[in-house]
Amino acid sequence: MQFRHERLPNGLDVIAEVSEAAHSASLGFFVKTGARDETDAISGVSHFLEHMVFKGTDQLSAAEINLRFDAMGASANAFTSEEDTVYYAAVLPEKQHDAVALLAAMMRPALRTEDFDTEKQVILEEIRMYDDQPPFGADDRCRAAYFGTHPLARSVLGTVESIEALPVEAMREYHQRRYAPGNLVLAASGAVDFDALVKSGRQLCGDWEPQPITNRKAASPPAPLPAATMELIPRQQAALEYAVRMSAGPAEDGADRFAAKLLAVVLGDDSGSRLYWDLVDSGDAEHAACQHHDFIDAGVFVTQLSCEADDTSSLLERIVGLYTDASRGLTTAEVDQARNKLLSRVVLAGERPRQRLFTIGLEWAHLGRHRSVADDLATLDGLCRDDLHGVLTRWPLTETAATVLAGPLTDAR
Amino acid sequence: MQQPLQTATLDNGIILLGEYLPGVESVSVSFHLPSGGICDSLLAQRTGRSCCGLATLTGELMLRGAGNRDSRQLVADLDNTGVQWSQAVSMSHGSFAGAMVARQLPAALPIYADILRRPTLAADQFEPAQQVVLQNLAGTEDEPAHRTLLALRKAHSPSPWGLPSEGISADVEQLTVSDAEAFAAEFVQPHGLIISAAGRIDWPAFVAQIEQLFGDWQGHSLPPVSSGPRGPRVLHVPYDSQQTHIGLAWSVPPYRDPESLKVTAALAVLGGGSSSRLFSEVREKRGLCYSVSAGYQTHRDLANAIAYSGTTAERAQETLDVMLAEIDRLPGTITDDELERVKARAKSGLVMQQESTAARAGAMARQWYHLGRIRTLAEDLERLDQLTVADIEAWLAANPPADLTVVSLGRDPLEVPDAVSA
Repeated sequence: MQFRHERLPNGLDVIAEVSEAAHSASLGFFVKTGARDETDAISGVSHFLEHMVFKGTDQLSAAEINLRFDAMGASANAFTSEEDTVYYAAVLPEKQHDAVALLAAMMRPALRTEDFDTEKQVILEEIRMYDDQPPFGADDRCRAAYFGTHPLARSVLGTVESIEALPVEAMREYHQRRYAPGNLVLAASGAVDFDALVKSGRQLCGDWEPQPITNRKAASPPAPLPAATMELIPRQQAALEYAVRMSAGPAEDGADRFAAKLLAVVLGDDSGSRLYWDLVDSGDAEHAACQHHDFIDAGVFVTQLSCEADDTSSLLERIVGLYTDASRGLTTAEVDQARNKLLSRVVLAGERPRQRLFTIGLEWAHLGRHRSVADDLATLDGLCRDDLHGVLTRWPLTETAATVLAGPLTDAR
Repeated sequence: MQQPLQTATLDNGIILLGEYLPGVESVSVSFHLPSGGICDSLLAQRTGRSCCGLATLTGELMLRGAGNRDSRQLVADLDNTGVQWSQAVSMSHGSFAGAMVARQLPAALPIYADILRRPTLAADQFEPAQQVVLQNLAGTEDEPAHRTLLALRKAHSPSPWGLPSEGISADVEQLTVSDAEAFAAEFVQPHGLIISAAGRIDWPAFVAQIEQLFGDWQGHSLPPVSSGPRGPRVLHVPYDSQQTHIGLAWSVPPYRDPESLKVTAALAVLGGGSSSRLFSEVREKRGLCYSVSAGYQTHRDLANAIAYSGTTAERAQETLDVMLAEIDRLPGTITDDELERVKARAKSGLVMQQESTAARAGAMARQWYHLGRIRTLAEDLERLDQLTVADIEAWLAANPPADLTVVSLGRDPLEVPDAVSA
């Protein structure tokens, strides 16, 4: 695998991880914008805009975009998160230029009022869909509680009210500001012709007007919670109770990033972890897991639990007890087992161009650097048990946390 | 583009499938035992006691200790060997799979031999395993889309094919460790076992090691499943939710039927991509929903076409009406462009499957189960190339979508036209 990078005069970065063995090429535009870049008045605009990008340009209707992706046999989609909006297509190598041309055209959408009004209904359906299914909004509420006034507190979907009130002019202004070439990365992985990719980029994106680049990091890190918080979202019809708990963790540019990922596998991977053996293997919980989520200027350990409503308090206490035990020391055997699991995941993910696209695109969009599969393997290999103990000391999971429960409970004892 | 496919059959009936995929470092292996959810019904037919979920519970138990390994040691050994492992139970099979760097395969296979041949089924593991299955069933109660599709399958399919392989809580609660022992003795066996491997594989060494680990395992053939009555044609499941979920089903030929490619192509035109009829009419033009699609679900001898959408209660009737109109409009209206797009998507999918050893191993096993052979990539591509609109239309003219089953889940029932339910 070979990594290539070139920056166009208007600031657009073009990157690729080229693999001659791959059968397909994955291509995408990574826009450095998401919920954290919004204000109350435009809450949910990043995600709504992601939908509108598929509604067409001055030259292309929405139906034509769908037809063209399907006609090239592309597996194309998009997603929006707190920090990123990503548009991608996986295609056979001979369709590389067609896919880039279509994606590039889409980055300059028409944002027609009538499309905006129709698509608003689809966004409202998506909000209702998530509101009807686990964890019933507990993840959004927990992030709001944990991050407080920090921009990462914002919801990706927005609310029914914020979406209903959003005017199309506000979206047009947001698009002009956030989709400037210096704020985008054109990334590719797999059987990619990089020179052709740069040529396509120049031809299709070269006339995009640069805009001033803003600093996305918050002025200060999230304020520590003065005390643990607990909120309830009553859902009488739910069969189980769903809990989300967040406590502080390292950010993505911190030295502890990989150790935190490995620690989360030891503590709360889907199987073979401390939470798994204590809560899931025993049949006491439907699901219990711990993950490390990192952002450009903050990080969190997220604990998820689903169980019978009456067991919620005692199981949450047991989880904190497991975190306390872990802070007294991990065994070499469990760290090695978690490491072996992660090494295997990195190698296997490295064979899939689509998975590599997201990894390299997000790494470049956030940190302006490339890490190869070999880099990740070497970092994981170099971690020792004390690195994980260091994370547990600097980011104790037993510290004050924000917790939100959604389900039949009406009183969080 | 000829792919190096390999097959072998052991004396005890185990089928081995292999494909060498150039350019990957990994290998994936999957074991498909004949111990799927349908075996719950075979057992029930004999004992007169319903035991829906026993296949799933036994699969869960098999990972809780095997050979000399207890539950924790088994997971530790798989993890330390670098195996990304998984276990699943469908109606037809109980499956165990693992993906790993190729050099680890010889170390991983003996662990799988223990799981398949020497599961401990320890009494002290039974209750926690039972609780896990019950917890998972409670969890699916909170997923309205999943519940809708389960209710649809149950209403549309002849018994026992509509039963959920994940189980029914009331049945699972009654099960005991001796039920699991009896199930394993009868259904966890080599007759009908398919072992499929794809990736950087050394075929002769693989066959030799499987022969050594599984060659002396003796099995028996299983009786056929007798089918019973189906459920109601129109069903509403009351549920307190903002969205109403709609599921439609009608019967189509199974995968092994030579006509099935015409069926899957027609369904792809209807609801397979973002330019499909359902996506453009229901979501893009009218903004009625976030998700809408149509697809194909096949067993060996019967198959269903399925269409699904979830939408706000107030707009559910319009959504259903548009979906029914599009299904009705399909015969006689498919264009060359639509078929070309279906082919382009299918071709990409087939080629990209070559990049995932896990996907490829699973796909080969499914193909063998349905057809008794595996097709090369070139063969699959050629079949697609030869398909014409006239072929599909001729089939649709003789077999238009009819006798639809309509299931809704949500606040209010929907009006279903008589023509559909007749």
